[in-house]
Amino acid sequence: MSSKESCRTELRIAIRQLTDRCLYSASKWAAEQLVGIEQDPAKFTPSNTRFQRGSSSIRRKYRTHEITATPTTGVSYIATPVMEEDELVDADFYLLAKSYFDCREYKRAAHVLRDQIGRKSVFLRSYALYMAGEKRKEEEMIELDGPLGKSDAMNQELVSIERELSTLRKNGTVDPFCLYLYGLVLKQKGNENLARTVLVESVNSYPWNWNAWTELQSLCTTVDILNSLNLSSHWMKDFFLASTYQELRMHNESLTKYEYLLGTFGFSNYIQAQIAKAQYSLREFDQVEAIFEELLRTDPYRVEDMDMYSNVLYAKECFSALSYLAHRVFMTDKYRPESCCIIGNYYSLKGQHEKSVVYFRRALKLNKNYLSAWTLMGHEFVEMKNTPAAVDAYRRAVDIDPCDYRAWYGLGQAYEMMGMPFYALHYFKKSVFLQPNDSRLWIAMAQCYETDQLRMLDEAIKCYRRASNCNDREAIALHQLAKLHSELGRPEEAAFYYRKDLERMESEEREGPNMVEALLYLAKYYKSQKRFEEAEVYCTRLLDYTGPVSLKYLTTISI
Amino acid sequence: MTGILKQPGAFAITPHKVSLCILLKIYAPPAQISVPFPFSSVSQHNRLGLFLLALTKSCDDILEPKLDELINQLRLVSQNWEASWLIDQLISRLSSLSSPDDLFNFFTDIRGILGGPDTGAIEDDQVILDANSNLGLFLRRCVLAFNLLPFEGVCHLLTNLGIYCKEEFSSCPPYEETSLDGSSSNLETYSEYENMDLENFVYEKVSEEIEARKEASERVPFHLHTPNALLSLVDDINVAADSASKQTDKVRVASPYEDPPSNMIQDIDSSGAVFLRSNWQVQGYLQEQADTIEKNGSAISLNGFEIILRQLQKLAPELHRVHFLSYLNGLSHDDYSAALENLHCYFDYSAGNEGFDFIPPAGGNSFGRYEIALLCLGMMHFHFGHPKLALEVLTEAVRVSQQHSNDTCLAYTLAAISNLLFENGISSTAGILGSSYSPFTSMGISLSVQQQLFVLLRGSLKRAENLKLKRLLASNHLAMAKFDLTHVQRPLLSFGPKSSLKLSTCPVNVCKELRLSSHLISDFSSESSAMTIDGAFSTTWLRNLQKPRGSLILCQENGSGNSSNVSQFCAQPTSIPGSVLQVLGSSYILRATAWELYGSTPMARINALVHTTCFADASSSSDAALAYVKLIQHLAVFKGYKEAFSALKIAEDKFLSVSKSQILLLKLQLLHEHALHRGHLKLAQKLCDELGVLASPVTGVDMELKTEASLRHARTLLAAKQFREAASVAHSLFCMCYKYNLQVENASVLLLLAEIHKKSGNAVLGLPYALASLSFCISFNLDLLKASATLTLAELWLSLGSSHATRALNLVHGAFPIILGHGGLELRSRAYIVEAKCYLCDTNFNVFEDSNLVIDSLRQASQELQLLEFHELAAEAFYLMAMIYDKLGQLEEREEAASSFQEHILALNNPQDPNDPLVSIY
Repeated sequence: MSSKESCRTELRIAIRQLTDRCLYSASKWAAEQLVGIEQDPAKFTPSNTRFQRGSSSIRRKYRTHEITATPTTGVSYIATPVMEEDELVDADFYLLAKSYFDCREYKRAAHVLRDQIGRKSVFLRSYALYMAGEKRKEEEMIELDGPLGKSDAMNQELVSIERELSTLRKNGTVDPFCLYLYGLVLKQKGNENLARTVLVESVNSYPWNWNAWTELQSLCTTVDILNSLNLSSHWMKDFFLASTYQELRMHNESLTKYEYLLGTFGFSNYIQAQIAKAQYSLREFDQVEAIFEELLRTDPYRVEDMDMYSNVLYAKECFSALSYLAHRVFMTDKYRPESCCIIGNYYSLKGQHEKSVVYFRRALKLNKNYLSAWTLMGHEFVEMKNTPAAVDAYRRAVDIDPCDYRAWYGLGQAYEMMGMPFYALHYFKKSVFLQPNDSRLWIAMAQCYETDQLRMLDEAIKCYRRASNCNDREAIALHQLAKLHSELGRPEEAAFYYRKDLERMESEEREGPNMVEALLYLAKYYKSQKRFEEAEVYCTRLLDYTGPVSLKYLTTISI
Repeated sequence: MTGILKQPGAFAITPHKVSLCILLKIYAPPAQISVPFPFSSVSQHNRLGLFLLALTKSCDDILEPKLDELINQLRLVSQNWEASWLIDQLISRLSSLSSPDDLFNFFTDIRGILGGPDTGAIEDDQVILDANSNLGLFLRRCVLAFNLLPFEGVCHLLTNLGIYCKEEFSSCPPYEETSLDGSSSNLETYSEYENMDLENFVYEKVSEEIEARKEASERVPFHLHTPNALLSLVDDINVAADSASKQTDKVRVASPYEDPPSNMIQDIDSSGAVFLRSNWQVQGYLQEQADTIEKNGSAISLNGFEIILRQLQKLAPELHRVHFLSYLNGLSHDDYSAALENLHCYFDYSAGNEGFDFIPPAGGNSFGRYEIALLCLGMMHFHFGHPKLALEVLTEAVRVSQQHSNDTCLAYTLAAISNLLFENGISSTAGILGSSYSPFTSMGISLSVQQQLFVLLRGSLKRAENLKLKRLLASNHLAMAKFDLTHVQRPLLSFGPKSSLKLSTCPVNVCKELRLSSHLISDFSSESSAMTIDGAFSTTWLRNLQKPRGSLILCQENGSGNSSNVSQFCAQPTSIPGSVLQVLGSSYILRATAWELYGSTPMARINALVHTTCFADASSSSDAALAYVKLIQHLAVFKGYKEAFSALKIAEDKFLSVSKSQILLLKLQLLHEHALHRGHLKLAQKLCDELGVLASPVTGVDMELKTEASLRHARTLLAAKQFREAASVAHSLFCMCYKYNLQVENASVLLLLAEIHKKSGNAVLGLPYALASLSFCISFNLDLLKASATLTLAELWLSLGSSHATRALNLVHGAFPIILGHGGLELRSRAYIVEAKCYLCDTNFNVFEDSNLVIDSLRQASQELQLLEFHELAAEAFYLMAMIYDKLGQLEEREEAASSFQEHILALNNPQDPNDPLVSIY
């Protein structure tokens, strides 16, 4: 990895250039990373590092392994020469246009730059036009909410921008920013292949534009596409890869990438949030909670990604923390889809499902394609026993993203609730196909096979076996496996699984009826096998539990 | 269909409606005399009025006609200079609307052409729109809608008007978007054509298109996965001189995705040009397409239709029915995963509340009607040949519909289950009829399956009767008839019935059920048309409106026009719904089948003929094909192969598009018979293997086909004199039939076994088989097969020695009435030969006195056998003749017979005849 100092200088220049071109979100991102670079403690007084992280005790507790500074594996980064700014002849007009742009008067900005030919001016003019078109599109979408739900609002400027930029690209007088815009336009027009090529060109010649990377990422829907990209190596590429791996549900790969990046950008909030996201997908809720607590401490007005934090709090049933979070985001910015989602989650946790549906609806009004809101709303409808509405909500989620295993799972659950287990199986199959490592999905499917209506026990056993292989946290699978085997008259398998279940309960120091059942079965089993010593051991252990059964057994065995 | 209806207030003002208002203003200018300026006569004026009326009727659009389309229609409606005047006016007035204020003024003006509430006070010859007339109402709605618009709305209208006018001037192609999706499927098409002569391809395409225009029913590609050689086998039999046409035939065969999307879109466009785009009309269109798919699945090209559906979905995302159509499309093209996905998608969105003509249960429950989803899913699995899955799903459907007390669905589900059980060999049905836990044990026979099936059929019949579901009732009666046809009243307990009188099928029952089924149909003429879809009706209405003016759009009428006629016919409220006609038609098919089994060929033929003449339009293509198959089989048996093959060629042209084609099956059967008779055993074996491959590999599915294939296999082996192998094949076939309760088939298997033993010279072993077959035939009322078995029995007796000749002769004579009345060429000639042999063996028979008796029947036999090209038997007949002539001392006749004998023997032993068209193919 190139040295921290060089990263820092690169980013500083990039931020200025991005801001100059009104690419604000990209410059925001870059600035976040700039601050995220670990300061050299020797140079700075403690006051400078006050807001930096690492001091929290919670965080330290969950930091499983210290970052073992990954040795640079011979990857030599191509030092992309920082772009030279062209001489601005018409600097005054540019300044005017930029101020118009900043005031969101896009058409005016474009008009000011109408005859300019400098690269910067060309970009800003096209970008302003694009933004004007987008703004108009948003407005139209609300104005033209057609009776059949049709909304074919289009950005009207796309055609002209595309024409201009494609000629520029042919002439070879295009700069990376225009390429980015060109890619954006192409993607919206549905020409994905060309868009991908153009975006790759853009990021290869100017890697610091995070917007371009995110656009490129949204075009990488499979690993094959990702591997076919011809990207020159730069540290920005690592950010890109990490985030793309995450989208492709390769969470562990993504995590390693992020851990690696932490070596340089040790204090980046962005990276922390992304790690939380990956951990969330791996269902490591405690770690996620710790990370978010930390994030909120350093960045208390953050709304981004906070819906995930609320999901974690919901799963852990932290009422007060969730209400605190909801209040905070509400005060910060109540008309963000994330805020609505958090409030919806809070009401859901309180059991006020009607209210929570109202807030999820609001979130969806703000962003029609907000995936998790659809899914969560489906969950609410399930709670309210309104299964058709739930099915509808889940289905919309699935149509937005056919890889959303939660929505498929929800669909299955809804149908199972309606007493259609066989029909539900189709959806469970879909969901386990997408997320084969989630034991809950396998258990749900197994339970579906196990229902009174189906009684396809062999299939259920197969599912439980899969579940037990992928880290079944609630330890349902082993117990069920043992039970099913004994039901099917296979005492050896049953004993095997009871023993495993017992071992597991011992190691986790859990007790309960399952323990008694296991001990009882094992005692009986060994007795029938005429292995009285083992049987006696289990019987004596049974004595620890109250109940007449154990005594009776002990007596029968000793005879 | 509640989900799709527009909100009552959602009458949006669009550029198209603005042009309508302009036209209305021209039609009824304020303060004018009776015939306003451009019109020369009242009728001219009225014509425009009618046109406008039609336009306003179809104004609930999701897709409105573009300006150029409207202009084209205007040209059609009125005379030359008037039209151009109208169009000029329209365009100039449209383009004069350039600011919001113009629009405001326009709509204030337009109010002037409406008559006030005091219409009586107006002078007689003044043209004014009654405010309560259709046109007036439309105008008022437009004005109201405009007044309700917020300023943004007015701005939008203005922009849209600009686009609307601009499009006319640049007149860009209307279906631009489709090329996006089309590209991939085009690629597919072209890759298939790669190795083909391009010129030929182009010609083919053009001719195809012309054809498509000519006859709407024939425009279609088809899916046949057969080797070319096989398909052209028959072409080559009556050697065709026009090799060019054959060439194109082959081209067609090779391209399953022939119908290019463009063709399809033209297709929809041509009907779309009649501006049928209201909500209801789209529904009607979908309904019509669904009917077409149901009737003749592969009539619609997979990709082409998919593109249209996708387009529809883009225009109307809430119209979930599109998914259902997609499902049907996938189903008819055997695209399992697409069908499955779309089915689930459809029911997830619609919750089964959309589009089914079931009677909704009282007090609509809010839980959706997912049992229908299960029913559909079950039928889908059934269609794809997954009987186990289908049974599981249908069981669940039964449970859920009981839970939701949806009796209608339950009745349908039960019918579906009984159909499933009938078609497939499934043993355990315990899950359906009570006890909940039924692990699916191996597919094996249990006698109770039949009983359960019977109970199920009865149950669903009763249920349908109670619920007054007439169509279901009719088809249940048909199913019952089918059941009665092949199952004895009490199950066979042991090998062969013991007291044959009690255990028999009841032809009377079959007849009764059939009659009941068709009686029900007559009720439909009186019943109001709950089944017709409003959209379809208004479609027809608009078509009829256009007809007298002889518009170019309706060129469909010139062609055979079957399909369009039917749809119009169906749309009329008094007519019998198409699906009912279909049930009625299949009852005739079933009658034909029944008579075929019972052994009355004339009756079978008549019923098949009735079907082909009366129900060709209404019935599904597979039913129609089946009727043709029956007729052609009849031809083959009674007129020989030449005629049959030429008829087959006609049928093939007619049913090109039937995918799992019965026609193909028939062809294989005929060719196999033909090859067997001519002694081409290798070819016969090959054909027999082809036949076997057609069946699905799943156990219990396609039982009929499998039985037939192995039966033919055994016969081929028998013809090759491999008796041991033939016997073992027949034995295993018998076991299979026994396992799956195919008792009727067993009768013929037993007969075949008897035949094998007879040929191998083991008459004593053959006798019990023949007798068993005979008793089977008696208990199943299979008269013709019984006659054939009697014949075999006679032969067996005869081969035991001349002392049994009288007994054999008696047997043959006993069978003669039915053989001569109903038997085909082969059976008859066999009977003649056996009779002659009996006489000749008989010691009391004097050749010199009664020679004519024998010679006549032998001559008859030899003639018929020559028609069949059945060399082996023909040789035998000639041999016998020669012997008799020799005895009689008629040398000339003897030589003649002998040379014929030699000819046949040579042909039999040397099948590689270079003149033989069959050989040249393989």
